[in-house]
Amino acid sequence: MQAQVIQYLLPDDLDLPGLEAHLRERHRFLEDPPSRQEQRFLDSFDWRIWQAGGELMYEQRAQLGRLCWLPRKGDRLAECVELPEPPRNAEPLPAGELRERIAGALQMRVLLPLVVVRQQCRTLRLLNEDDKTVLRLLLQDNQFASPDGRRKGELEGRLELIPLKGYHKPLQQLRTELDRLGLKSVRESLFESALIGIGRHPMDYSSKLNYRLDPEARSDVTAKHILLSLLDTLEANVEGAKADLDSEFLHDLRVASRRSRSAMSQIKGVFDPRELEPFRKGFAWIGQITGPTRDMDVYLLKYPAYRDSLPQRLRSDLTPFHEFLHRQHQQAQQAMVRKLNSPHFRKLIKSWRQWLEEPVPKISFQPNALQPISRLADRRIHKIYKRVLKDGRLVKPDSPPERLHELRKDCKKLRYLMEFFQSLYPKPQIRELIKRLKALLDNLGDFQDFQVQATAIGHFGEQMLQEGASVATLIAMGALVGDLLKQQDKARQEFAELFAQFDSKQNRQAFEGLFGGS
Amino acid sequence: MHILGVYNIKGGVGKTATAVNLAYLAARQGYRTIVWDLDPQGAATYYFRIKAKVKGGGKALVKGKLDLDSLVKATDFENLDMLPADFSYRNMDLKLEDAKKPTKQLLRLLRPLSQAYDYVILDCPPSISLVSENIFRAADGLLLPLIPTTLSLRTYQQLLDFLEGHRISGLQLMPFFSMVDRRKRMHLDVMQSLPDTRKELLNVAIPYASDVEKMGIHRMPVGEFAPKGPAWQAYEALWREVQERLA
Repeated sequence: MQAQVIQYLLPDDLDLPGLEAHLRERHRFLEDPPSRQEQRFLDSFDWRIWQAGGELMYEQRAQLGRLCWLPRKGDRLAECVELPEPPRNAEPLPAGELRERIAGALQMRVLLPLVVVRQQCRTLRLLNEDDKTVLRLLLQDNQFASPDGRRKGELEGRLELIPLKGYHKPLQQLRTELDRLGLKSVRESLFESALIGIGRHPMDYSSKLNYRLDPEARSDVTAKHILLSLLDTLEANVEGAKADLDSEFLHDLRVASRRSRSAMSQIKGVFDPRELEPFRKGFAWIGQITGPTRDMDVYLLKYPAYRDSLPQRLRSDLTPFHEFLHRQHQQAQQAMVRKLNSPHFRKLIKSWRQWLEEPVPKISFQPNALQPISRLADRRIHKIYKRVLKDGRLVKPDSPPERLHELRKDCKKLRYLMEFFQSLYPKPQIRELIKRLKALLDNLGDFQDFQVQATAIGHFGEQMLQEGASVATLIAMGALVGDLLKQQDKARQEFAELFAQFDSKQNRQAFEGLFGGS
Repeated sequence: MHILGVYNIKGGVGKTATAVNLAYLAARQGYRTIVWDLDPQGAATYYFRIKAKVKGGGKALVKGKLDLDSLVKATDFENLDMLPADFSYRNMDLKLEDAKKPTKQLLRLLRPLSQAYDYVILDCPPSISLVSENIFRAADGLLLPLIPTTLSLRTYQQLLDFLEGHRISGLQLMPFFSMVDRRKRMHLDVMQSLPDTRKELLNVAIPYASDVEKMGIHRMPVGEFAPKGPAWQAYEALWREVQERLA
């Protein structure tokens, strides 16, 4: 088994042949036949493997393909499993710790090829007096290429030392010698170097709102900044959503679109409403055309849990429902792709970007446009927060569900505002408050989602009945509806307790302390 | 992790050659493999050009003062490591007797290696002892090279009796003929008579070949210096059959 590899880049005055000549004068080596291999680095679109502390590399060597998890830090060793082809998710891996780690990191996301490294490698084996190999030196010429092959080029020559277990001394001796020659050991992995080659870097996409706002900046300027960042996210996800690589592309696209609408209406008084109007409508339309596909994504993602919630005997009866969902999903996806390919969508996105990139007018007649953003943020968050408290206190055990739905909408507005302006507040405090709000929001979300799902499954049942579904399947779906309504009741019962926590004195003080300043 | 023992009560039956060549084949397929040379003669260790020495020896191992990982030496081949032999293993039986659960010590020692290796191949000392009982209890499969003679068959029967007497089950026995000399009448007779009664017998037989003896000169597996010869072809076929059995 291999120990942790030590990598070096060559100094400017030394190339691989020069280094080799130098070493051969002083040591005895045996040379293995040169090898060529291709390494394909994989991660999800939003870098989940990287965030879990690893790099995933698929390599074809001799007839054997293998997938390796390369830990990014520490001296843990690479872990590899044999696989005939690069996997799209953890499923093809043999059962074990590695499979669970990858599945846990990815969840519903798929692995995409990010960059390819073509490696030409010569292996020198350092021999001791018994002609036993005690250290391997790999002289590597590496080329990088983007997965579509459009960007490619040469990387700097690398020397890798592969220590052999039980032979520490020769390793130390050679390291000292390389230091003297001016070789620098590198921390940047081959993956990172190759990414730089194709003009990317780790974590160059995230659906999170990653920016730092200037508290003194004009509110209209800041609002455009936030909206531009949301537009970047939206656009980054269009291709993946159209190709249906995994359900998160569409999800992130929709969240970015919803946040944009919320920003337009909640960052009040900064833009001329007449200018915003067509975009407001446009984003509502995006919500509409992507909704049916997202709904089907949700049902398909939830399907395993649906099935497992039923008694064992009924589970197989549910299979036709799964097939039905698949067909519906396909239809919805096709319809959505047509809309996303339409000139209307393209024009909307293009004109929105143009408008956002136009500089704001020097003088604005909008009431909040020239204010520093920190003041507007405080005011807006405080106002919506107060509304949430007021509406929440009006919810009684016998209140109609609409009350809770309205409260949920306000909570969402509050959450989005807090997230837009997160960087204006001390990190630990704002994060903690978002977390507490989220607990309430999750409960309200459950309450509504269970009801929506129960109703929808009822409609699906009617449709399937007309298409000739069996009684057994409809009974299983009926049991499912019953279960969902039961869960909805449970969420309703838990609401009072969760809202009381949100409305606690300590929580109110925390909100007032952070946002009540102006 | 598969644990495979290579064993015979008798010595000089091609046991070490089997362990070394099969381990090399496993590693070449990409499986992380380790050979543990439990035979104090250290032939497997010698074949891999490694110096036989375990600091503190078998005694420290059994007492739990040493962990196996610190003793591992890499061989010249990728994915193939070795736990070298130590002359002090000759007293291993005595040390085992002092330990708690003396028949399960080996399994305890091997457990931490299960993450790091796909195959552990044990080159066993030729005898029936506490060490071999430990091996029988730790291994999933036991490869038994048999020279096709009546005496060999007797020792095989002795082993079966021992396993039955000690209630060792779940161990996949894989006897196969080794050092087969097709010019010898007796070899042919024994080989013809046995397969009917012994269903566990592997189909592949390893011929008596000078290539195998030359391992001591080249100090490497046969596949490295005579990959075209009949001996190597036989080892390749044997490994395929063993993998099928284990699957």
